[in-house]
Amino acid sequence: MHGLPEFHLLHPATVAEAVAMGQEEPGARFVAGGTDLLVNMRRLIAAPPTLIDLTDVAEMREITVEDGTLVVGAAATLAELAADPRVRRTWPVLATAAGTVAGPTHRQVATVGGNLCLDTRCIYYNQSEWWRWANDYCLKERGEVCHVAPGAPRCWAAFSGDLAPAALVMGAEAVVAGPDGARTMPLDDLYGDDGATPFRLGAGELLTAIRVPDPGGLRGDYAKSRVRGAIDFPLAGVAVALRRDGDHLADLRVALTATNVRPDLVTGTETLLHGPLDDDRLSALERLVGKQIQPMRSTVTSSQYRRRVAAALLRRLVAGLFAAE
Amino acid sequence: MTAPAKKKMAGVRLPLIDGPEKVSGRAHYTADLPHGDALVGRILRSPSGHAEIVRVDASAARKLPGVAAVVTGADCDVPFGVLPIAQNEYPLARDKVRYRGEPVAVVAAVDAATADAAIDLIELELRELPAYYTPSEARVPGAVNLHDDRDGNLERDVHHEFGDVDAGFAEADVVREETFRCAEVTHVHMEPHVSLAEYDPGRDRITLHTCTQVPYYVHLSVSRCLGMDTSQIRVVKPYIGGGFGARTETLNFEIIACLAARAAGGRVRLYLSREETFLTHRGRPYTEVKIKLGMTKSGRMTACACEAVQAGGAYGGYGIVTILYAGALLNAIYDIPAVRYDGYRVYTNTPACGAMRGHGTVDVRYAFESLLDIMAGELGLDPFAVRRANLLTVPFETLNGLRINSYGLPECLDWVEEASGWRDRAGETPSGGRVRKGFGLGCSHYVTGAAKPVHWTGEPHAVVNLKLDFDASITVLTGAAEIGQGSSTILAQAVGEVLGVDFSRLRVVASDSAITPKDNGSYSSRVTFMVGNAAVQAAEALRAILIEAAARKLDADPGDVECLGEVYRVAGSQDPGLPFNEVVREALVDTGTITAKGTFTVPKEYQGGGHRGGAVGSTMGFSYAATVAEVSVDEDTGQVTVDNVWVAHDCGYAINPLSVEGQIQGAVWMGLGQAISEETRYWNGLPLCANMLDYRVPTIVESPPIHTRIVESMDPNGPFGAKEASEGALSSLIPAVANAVHDALGVRLTETPMTPDRVIDAVIRKERDAKRAAVPGAA
Repeated sequence: MHGLPEFHLLHPATVAEAVAMGQEEPGARFVAGGTDLLVNMRRLIAAPPTLIDLTDVAEMREITVEDGTLVVGAAATLAELAADPRVRRTWPVLATAAGTVAGPTHRQVATVGGNLCLDTRCIYYNQSEWWRWANDYCLKERGEVCHVAPGAPRCWAAFSGDLAPAALVMGAEAVVAGPDGARTMPLDDLYGDDGATPFRLGAGELLTAIRVPDPGGLRGDYAKSRVRGAIDFPLAGVAVALRRDGDHLADLRVALTATNVRPDLVTGTETLLHGPLDDDRLSALERLVGKQIQPMRSTVTSSQYRRRVAAALLRRLVAGLFAAE
Repeated sequence: MTAPAKKKMAGVRLPLIDGPEKVSGRAHYTADLPHGDALVGRILRSPSGHAEIVRVDASAARKLPGVAAVVTGADCDVPFGVLPIAQNEYPLARDKVRYRGEPVAVVAAVDAATADAAIDLIELELRELPAYYTPSEARVPGAVNLHDDRDGNLERDVHHEFGDVDAGFAEADVVREETFRCAEVTHVHMEPHVSLAEYDPGRDRITLHTCTQVPYYVHLSVSRCLGMDTSQIRVVKPYIGGGFGARTETLNFEIIACLAARAAGGRVRLYLSREETFLTHRGRPYTEVKIKLGMTKSGRMTACACEAVQAGGAYGGYGIVTILYAGALLNAIYDIPAVRYDGYRVYTNTPACGAMRGHGTVDVRYAFESLLDIMAGELGLDPFAVRRANLLTVPFETLNGLRINSYGLPECLDWVEEASGWRDRAGETPSGGRVRKGFGLGCSHYVTGAAKPVHWTGEPHAVVNLKLDFDASITVLTGAAEIGQGSSTILAQAVGEVLGVDFSRLRVVASDSAITPKDNGSYSSRVTFMVGNAAVQAAEALRAILIEAAARKLDADPGDVECLGEVYRVAGSQDPGLPFNEVVREALVDTGTITAKGTFTVPKEYQGGGHRGGAVGSTMGFSYAATVAEVSVDEDTGQVTVDNVWVAHDCGYAINPLSVEGQIQGAVWMGLGQAISEETRYWNGLPLCANMLDYRVPTIVESPPIHTRIVESMDPNGPFGAKEASEGALSSLIPAVANAVHDALGVRLTETPMTPDRVIDAVIRKERDAKRAAVPGAA
């Protein structure tokens, strides 16, 4: 990893300008904090001729609350999100998740959009040009084979952002701008299910904000497993949001990160509602998650460990949130 | 007005003298040196782990505009290696490549883009050979030899036995054996490797600025590999961002930079990436330690047998020394009546290992101290009691011929026991919940300078020159490499203590072969002791000259003149005396600039036993350390948190207590990484963690409060009583944490690092065993 390859840097002031620049410059990429893209560029994983810097787009930097809905601009930094008093009060799970990303200096520049659109990660992909050359590259980039599962005709690089699961359990929507104007969709729809093409964004489209509805009685929390207490990407990350009605679970949502190629909202949690949170229910929830979690050999840490620790974090989060009422 | 007195300089908490430059950013490291029109060097590295080189064709690369030179293995047929008996590495691979990442060619070009483009134009044709990444693969009968002269890929096997080991085991009440596995680790010094080499075609000379701990070794290697007389080479070590052993031998890039500079006829800057710095490696090898101890019911050891197998990587480097250290340092910490050691250093198709802080002893000490705890537990003895039952008394000569004159381990044990509240927590009921607390103890020792130099020349082990001139300043000239360990500060303090002058008079100029005396370098914790003693001798010589001069001026007998630092006067008189500047003026009359010299040589009797390999481990003084770690272990996530560390270190005498504390903290922190998170890993020989994200050096979050205690045993041979201060504590930290994790979990991990996944595996084992035990009738 030596210096960066050469590129032109453009500084749009509005979303419309950014979108127009994206259309005019073939191969251009959007950049904000650069903590993901620039590392990949230095490794020659990507060498876009043009970077469109979103940090001066004022409308994308704002964090506002509109009629109870939280709107977070994609260019707001993770540090800003983690420190925002409204977020901490009403959507604390977002602040918690943002506060666990990498280290403090990363969070000063890394953005909400960058973390939600974090490129999928894999030990065979996040390596130098020399390394990937010596390994015949991989399915995600220039190569023929996925070294994680050589038999499979698909890429198993894992989505490893911390913010996505927290936003998913809170029912977030993604606001996307593109040549055809803006559109809003469930955040879940932003993600595809192949590590090689992780985002369902059209040509020239960019994520400009997320909208998170008023939680009502929903309370969420996020925990991640990692070897070090800072810097590391999650080995497994779990977000939980639940609503309690007396002794009963009235709503339960679980989302995972770093264990699958996409941040996954666990389906079927509604079957566990309307009863007390006892050991049987927790075990049933664990089984449910166990069926949908799919850690592969995309990290140096074993899949077995990541599966087990995800279950442990899940139990802790659910029990903690349920008891905190 | 206060009476004149000598300034106290030894034992003073002085900030490091090069600190202001470093913390303000004014310090110029090699990469910061003005390099103007220097060509950019880039290395083509092998994609293969083991292959014959069929063809390296650089013709297209050489034709690329902007390329000044391309050098390949064909251009240098002289192998290098730090040990004269194991020089089997070419700066650029010739017949074979032996690890993925081995340098094959170097390009020097006008800019980075041109150099990169030229690298892509070099055609490399390889014929693949079977590659071996672990010692067991490399030792399989019929395996292809990495080196023709080493059958079975065994670089060196060591078989030592001192005392009657079998009789010792027969005498014991309990004999236990356990195998431990330690992952390979590496230094991760902050500064990536970099060399700036300038060739002067008119004079056929080379000037090399490089980030080394051993400028003298680099000087010799460059001379050999380039076939140039040593007089035509100058090696300068600028500020350096750490070494920790990685830079205690000449590294390939240093010779490569010189080869490229000569071929290009100019200046080449070879600045390695972090990944290339990892690939250059020379870290602590993957080691399997099988250790067996015999013990009486009272905890007295009767015998020790140890087998160590190391994956040494593809080249010799310091390998033979590492495998010898691992055995030699079974001795000299406890009084063990019989010791047997079998060591196997194996060649593997991975980057070569080398010296790393605590060279050779760390993994074996972890295994040894872990087994001591296992056996203490079995015998119902306190871990402190077991160590105390085996203390030695000085003066002591070990079974393998090592001499010990000072031994502060008993005081170290006393302090950590008291400070950690060890006895108060005995019998404490385990906390409920899934996060469990534990305490653990470990002890360690380390050499104070290898007694036998690598190159036997008959020269002293250390030389220091002091220059005193008309300006009345004193310049300490030393070849000792200041690598952040504080050597320049310590040498200034040593000189200052003898002369008693204002500290502001002193400057240290270090590590420029054109100016400073030769020094073997900064390794094996030798500088404070050896160079420090030479500095004391030089300062005494200078003081004698100044006293002579003062006596002339005072018209007194030199024997009656006392040196009060800034003032010289007739002893006991009420005279105001002569100020320092006047004494200096008098001293310079007729002679001019004064150079006072001091040397130090390790006496023969300290150079180890007569057996083969007996020189390794020999030293004039051992440091000792005891460490207690307090940990929390989360049984759900497997996370080990080190909550507190108490560490006492016997460094003989602390010439600079502030610096010693910093060194102890650094050793603890480095050991912490090996204990809980750091490991290099390879996938088919490709390094998986050759970056600072995946190679998990602890962050400030992992760093516990470190409670340090300096124990001063006043070694009779050390300068002011000083001995080793920066390596010894490392190897007690790892077993202290391991023993604490066992205390917390009730199950023992036998591998490092104790990462969450390994801890969870142990928890699963424990739960499975508990279930089995609960089934009636199950054994």
